Amino acid sequence: MKEFLSSPFFGIVVSIIAFRIGVLIQKISKTPVANPLLISIALIIVFIKTFNISYEDYNVGGQIISTMLVPATAILAVSIYNQAAVLKKYFIPAVAGCFVGSLTAIVSIVLMCRAFGLDEALTASLMPKSVTTAIAIGISEQHGGLVPVTVAAVIVTGVFGAVFAPLLVKLFRIKDPVTTGISIGTSSHVGGTSTAITMGEIEGAMSSIAIGIAGLITTFLSVFF
Amino acid sequence: MKVLWQIGILFAVCLLGEGISLLLPFPFPASVIAMIILLLLMLTKRLKAEKLKETSDFFLGIMSFLFIPAGVGIINVYDSIKGHILPLLVICILTTIITFGVTSFAVRFFIRLQERLSKPKGGKQP
Repeated sequence: MKEFLSSPFFGIVVSIIAFRIGVLIQKISKTPVANPLLISIALIIVFIKTFNISYEDYNVGGQIISTMLVPATAILAVSIYNQAAVLKKYFIPAVAGCFVGSLTAIVSIVLMCRAFGLDEALTASLMPKSVTTAIAIGISEQHGGLVPVTVAAVIVTGVFGAVFAPLLVKLFRIKDPVTTGISIGTSSHVGGTSTAITMGEIEGAMSSIAIGIAGLITTFLSVFF
Repeated sequence: MKVLWQIGILFAVCLLGEGISLLLPFPFPASVIAMIILLLLMLTKRLKAEKLKETSDFFLGIMSFLFIPAGVGIINVYDSIKGHILPLLVICILTTIITFGVTSFAVRFFIRLQERLSKPKGGKQP
């Protein structure tokens, strides 16, 4: 049984089935909160806890899926390239928006952590949570944060962005795709971008470029905190 | 075979990204470096965007699926954040909304500023 569960196919098949169920539930319920990603994460956690399967066994296959995030992020370059004309036209607003957004993220996180009386280690763990995992881990480590907490915070932020981006666009009455994309990418990195690419080509491309720009800016800004 | 060559190019660029990431003195992810390399290759016309189309469409389509294992990994940190789950969740969600809102206002402000500044010269339409 142990060999069966630790086969890489186990984690992959479980993930695909869970996602398939998530997509079906979303189709039937038609609400944005019934997000396939959120549903599949919850289903798998319940599944492996119920049947006493270790996370390590699940993650043999899970690791392979996670590794694919690297090429999936890299190939966003194709979307950006296809929208190069739009990016060129809005380059300054895009970079300026990412700068203001990244600064807002850091300041609001530090202030809220103080307000909730969280210690330095937890604050440092949360500070980089708006940027993509690999950058966030590096910043967290440098500031004495707890890396697993940072990863969890990045994921929560990404999943929240993926699920609620369309609602936030309505809430802030955003009409143009450039603003939509930059806001999603700056606030919720690749997670939100996975939703931005379903909203339109320009939204996807702008969100993708914001991951990189906000990541760079946050790396430099975090030095001052 | 076409898709195999595409994946070959993509993974090679990712590998290059990993290499460069190891050499940098500050943390910067291999994925974003690989993204920049790919973009440069296309902008300098050394690589045609159409040559990656099938692979690009595939990854864009399964993007959110790829986050599942990382999300499931949250169960690993449950013990170290047990007493703080509610504040941590509130902070994560509220700051994301604040960042989203402020970014959107900033982008709109700078787009308007740019349009106003460029009008006297060329009269660009928004």
